[in-house]
Amino acid sequence: MKVDAAIVGIGNSSFGRGLPDSQLRLAATALKNAIADAGIERRDIDGLSIHLGSPIGVDYDRVAEAFGLEIRYVNQSWLHGRFVTNALQHAALAVSARLADVVACVTAISFTRERGFLGGPSDFEGNREEGGTHGEAPPYGLTAPAAGAALAMQRYMHVFNATSEQLAAVPIALREHAMLNPRAIMKEPLTLRAHQNARMVVDPLRLYDCCLISDGAVVVLVARGNRAKNMRQKPIRIAGMQGIRSGRDEFIFAPRGLGINQQSTRASASRSADQEVFASAGVERGDVQGFYTYDAFSPLVLFALERFGYCGAGEAASWVQGGRIALGGELPVNTSGGLLSEAHVGGWNSICEMVRQLRGTAGPSQIADTAVLQWGTAWGDSVILTAGADRQ
Amino acid sequence: MSIRDRPRPRIGPDNAPFWEGCRGHRLMLPTCAECGKAHLPPGPVCPFCLSDRITWQRASGRGRVSTWTIVHKAWFPAFRDDIPYNVVQVELDEGPRLTSSLVSLSGRRPEIGQRVEVVFDDVDDTLTLHRFRMLA
Repeated sequence: MKVDAAIVGIGNSSFGRGLPDSQLRLAATALKNAIADAGIERRDIDGLSIHLGSPIGVDYDRVAEAFGLEIRYVNQSWLHGRFVTNALQHAALAVSARLADVVACVTAISFTRERGFLGGPSDFEGNREEGGTHGEAPPYGLTAPAAGAALAMQRYMHVFNATSEQLAAVPIALREHAMLNPRAIMKEPLTLRAHQNARMVVDPLRLYDCCLISDGAVVVLVARGNRAKNMRQKPIRIAGMQGIRSGRDEFIFAPRGLGINQQSTRASASRSADQEVFASAGVERGDVQGFYTYDAFSPLVLFALERFGYCGAGEAASWVQGGRIALGGELPVNTSGGLLSEAHVGGWNSICEMVRQLRGTAGPSQIADTAVLQWGTAWGDSVILTAGADRQ
Repeated sequence: MSIRDRPRPRIGPDNAPFWEGCRGHRLMLPTCAECGKAHLPPGPVCPFCLSDRITWQRASGRGRVSTWTIVHKAWFPAFRDDIPYNVVQVELDEGPRLTSSLVSLSGRRPEIGQRVEVVFDDVDDTLTLHRFRMLA
């Protein structure tokens, strides 16, 4: 089976902190906006691919019930950034296999109402059997996902002589992007000095290396290619995909071979196995005009760039200097501001931005003549989106 | 668990011998009787050869700091008074790594590569945590 799927509609709620709406209410707003954007009817949606809550949220049946949907395909996982790609890929697979015609990818987050879940006393994640998957060790006071990124970055800095000042290039570039984006929560410029003077959260991560704790929802509608052709928007093709990489040499928030948890210490340049997405999409890495990634913590951007071979092992901290990942640079990253400066909607806010870019409706953030964009994460999964529904 | 309490390890069939070892001030490693390799975290089978024949061997208790962090944020009320506190990963001489903390750091920063040796912290009658002290 070939993947034959396109994004035909996007919608979001407002993004903010301390929003009064329930998660379902946020999701309802995003759903209505996505339906209007696609120019379809609610009854056209017959599939759901969801991960709601933070991390507790409703199941698919409550979503279908609450929104009056008639569903014949469901994929459901946790609200974790690691399952964004997964949810989008399952939507693409489902429409390609004709298990559904139009799948709504739904996520909604109310982090500010449920802060205790983020590394606090209500966060049971680290207490699952043998601990959480970001390196949590609750008896030792390591209870938040940020800790995993900190453990990885600390070693990365030691092994590759990288610095916090170099890392600052990531949040600074993304803040510049957010300042062009009216949806973004963060509006003030971020300087290197402000980054370095900000409080340390979990060494070496300072305040601006950690993403926003925010509320919001996004719905992305995925349809089969031939159906997408007849819809209102220019279809954005899901041109290529590769899945999550996992095993003892992987740690969710580190490059392979960095030596975190049980990883080996055999750091190596990006392998062909890490780059299957390019052949899957029928493009070369050099064709990619913008890179979008899960940036809950700024080191994850470095690790993702290395994963897909934009630079070699240990080179990303230098590679991102000089405006290279900012708009106008060689490879703009997260052009709506990402989780670091737009909002934390798991990463779906960046998927929406990719769609706007490929439609040519990204406004002041528009990359010229956008045709090929990559979503790719530090843990190795990826989707390449291209303009147009047809196979190349 | 009250939110004032410190989280405790979730002890189950696979890792009980590890934490029982700590209570007896012995660092025990699940070790495969077939391929001979030790692994962490404790699992139901050997992750290298999938053998069920796991034996528990006393580890040397020595290793090196492989990475570290210092936590400055009070995610948990129970750790508020400890801030800033260190957490390290230690690569044991036997190979596997575990997450723990250094004692007697007295304001210094941990260093990657620092040789360390296990010590035991009797939290109460039913729980002992492993920690590490720096070797010269």
